[in-house]
Amino acid sequence: MSDTAMFAMKQVSKSYGSAYTLHPLNLHISRGELVALIGPSGAGKTTCLNILAGTIEPDAGLLHIAGKPASSYASGKHLAKAVGIIRQQFDLVGSLPVLHNVLAGRLHEWGFGKSLLSFLFPQDKHIAADALNRVGLSDKLYDKTSHLSGGEQQRVALARLLVQQPQAILADEPVASLDPARAEDVLAMLVRLVQEEQLTLVSSLHSVHLARQFFQRIIAIKEGRVFFDLPTADVTEDHITDLYQLTAGHGMDER
Amino acid sequence: MQHIPSATSVRKPHRRFGIVRVSVYMAFLLIIASWIYLFIGEQANLAELFSAKNVRYAVQFLSGLAGVGVDHPAFLDIESWKRALALTYQTLQMSLMAIGFATLGMLLTVIPASRVVAGGTESALLRAWNRIVYGLVRAMYVISRSVPELIWAMMIIFFFKPGLLPGAIALALHNFGILGKLCAEVVEDLDMRPIRNLASSGASKAQILIYGIIPAVLPRFLTYILYRWEVIIRTTIVVGFVGAGGLGHEFKLSMSWFHYTDVTLYLLCYLMLVFAVDLISAGLRRWMQ
Amino acid sequence: MSSKLLDFHKKNILTVLLSAVFIWSLFSVQWGPDLFHPGGQAALGQMMQGLLQPDWSPAILRLALSAAWTTLAYAVAGMSLAIVIALVFGVLASGVLASTRTARNVQVIGFRGALGFMRAIHELVWAWLFVAAIGLSPFAGIFAIAIPYGGILGRIFADMLQDVPEEPITALRAAGASRLQLLCYGYVPIAMADMLSYLMYRFECAIRSSAIMSFIGLGGLGFQIQLSLQDLRYDQVWTFLLFLIALVVLVDMWSQLLRKRLVA
Repeated sequence: MSDTAMFAMKQVSKSYGSAYTLHPLNLHISRGELVALIGPSGAGKTTCLNILAGTIEPDAGLLHIAGKPASSYASGKHLAKAVGIIRQQFDLVGSLPVLHNVLAGRLHEWGFGKSLLSFLFPQDKHIAADALNRVGLSDKLYDKTSHLSGGEQQRVALARLLVQQPQAILADEPVASLDPARAEDVLAMLVRLVQEEQLTLVSSLHSVHLARQFFQRIIAIKEGRVFFDLPTADVTEDHITDLYQLTAGHGMDER
Repeated sequence: MQHIPSATSVRKPHRRFGIVRVSVYMAFLLIIASWIYLFIGEQANLAELFSAKNVRYAVQFLSGLAGVGVDHPAFLDIESWKRALALTYQTLQMSLMAIGFATLGMLLTVIPASRVVAGGTESALLRAWNRIVYGLVRAMYVISRSVPELIWAMMIIFFFKPGLLPGAIALALHNFGILGKLCAEVVEDLDMRPIRNLASSGASKAQILIYGIIPAVLPRFLTYILYRWEVIIRTTIVVGFVGAGGLGHEFKLSMSWFHYTDVTLYLLCYLMLVFAVDLISAGLRRWMQ
Repeated sequence: MSSKLLDFHKKNILTVLLSAVFIWSLFSVQWGPDLFHPGGQAALGQMMQGLLQPDWSPAILRLALSAAWTTLAYAVAGMSLAIVIALVFGVLASGVLASTRTARNVQVIGFRGALGFMRAIHELVWAWLFVAAIGLSPFAGIFAIAIPYGGILGRIFADMLQDVPEEPITALRAAGASRLQLLCYGYVPIAMADMLSYLMYRFECAIRSSAIMSFIGLGGLGFQIQLSLQDLRYDQVWTFLLFLIALVVLVDMWSQLLRKRLVA
């Protein structure tokens, strides 16, 4: 396993019942890469991300995260140092102030006593303030999280990732619930922060436009298989049309 | 570039949490004051609580309940079981009567108790009358639910001879106010659009009631009635203490005569009754869904 | 088709059924003039009169005020213990701390059962059992409130913790939070508003429960009501009752105020 690989999948597959959600898959993602996962809904993007994140176990195959087998991460705390996750929304605890949601990124460093103490006397507050400053929300430190707009909440989730300091970020449709202008803002910010911190980013997206705009490499998944895996510059309109074309006949053959 | 916001700009006063914060302080104050008062004013004494004498009493009482050293514990005696089950049956009847009376009272008052004025063609006099009735019924609800069942029972036992009826009425007097309040809220939260629709299509008042109001409120009413029935069954034993019959009455007598194995028997029956009613009520509510 | 018709009529069937059992229950009473005390009507009349003219003399008011405080103090002390019981048992009964599926099932069934037993028995029965076991002590009253209220609060807390939306919890887990950290940074803050408003509702009930602790010999408004009833002083009975009502209404107002804030 070379040291440049952030994620390496070897013949990884996952099925629910008799149907494959993910056919045996080989994937190699190097450190510092910006990868977009696109494809029709239900194609297996989320399953793929969840396997990379270690939240679901593949049925077969080998997965290395940051050069170590995924199974060697004994606890969530160790994994959290390697991989951070951001999803559509609803990821934050709405009733807590923004500060505590951001500091939740430190929980893997803290013991239970320190996390309790932090409710009364926020610990490592400067780290949270710094992170919020970088996502442009420095004035919202003590606001109730549920009072923030959708875009702002996604930025709080970004700040939490900054505090967590993983080596790679997995994003599952991070901007799906935002309007187009805000989606671009948040995604631009995510990519900028990833580049500043020299992290790896793998993000599923339903917008091909956004994928082309912000990512270097696009992996298309269709019916649980890699449809194409190309540098962004090489992706043509034909590729995209083929990817999203309905394949009713093909699907029926398979059953 | 990266300046950490100064404390003053960040620590905005958040008025939203005003009442919550004051409530938390008040709660802590109340808790501390109460415990201090109970320790000093009421002479609560933890050391005495666990004194050797108390431990001996407790052991004695518990072994009494378990029937240790008793020749014929009541809970192993067929005749005692028959008597206890008859009492259980009576207690169940009392609870049904109680929830029935409370429901009747609620149904008679719930419409004036809800601020729903259909039509709006009444004269000023009628409106004023409605408002007075509303206030009166609401006051009745407050009095009714603020006074616990046991105290209602203590009062009406001056009027009724001991038996199941005063128990049921005492239970009903308390639950009438609670049911009334809950159900009036249901009526007030009613979606008025379908009802106005019915009215505009020429339905009479009775037709509006049958096709518009009752179907909309019935499920919630039934849910509340079943839920209060669960509470009532737990309380039947308590009104029995002051002469309202049923398990509670016999429980009290056995306690005062130190017939502890009888106490165990009645407690068993009581628990069976409570769990059975909980199951029936939950089952009916699920079935209704 | 017929099953749909049944679905449609389920509520009506239930209504008929409940009405029928109510009517059946009425047969347990032998209706007639024998149900009443001979002097019952006079007593009722005096009682009504007492409501219209309660005793507002300063001595009684002072007594009522101190009795109201005693009642409140027992309710608060009982509730404070009940909260501790409910938090511990509720968290365990919700199973959010369990590491494996089996551990979770064992925990949930065991602690839910314990909570069910605690709340099945009425607080006054608990009180009486305590008095019989340890003698008359303020703790009998406090524990008698704490146990059933701990039972009901614990069950509701467990339900609320189990109903917490999954997404924030998954996100916290991915950020490396341990189970205890999930509890205090995820489950509890999310369920807090609901838990508090239910707690306030139960606090109102605890005031009433505290008032009836007089029955086993503890002080407070219930005790004064009992004494006045024995003396047939209905005007005083109503003074104390009105104090009890005022206490309940005050707590109710507080809880509604708080609930409005918490829900928003």
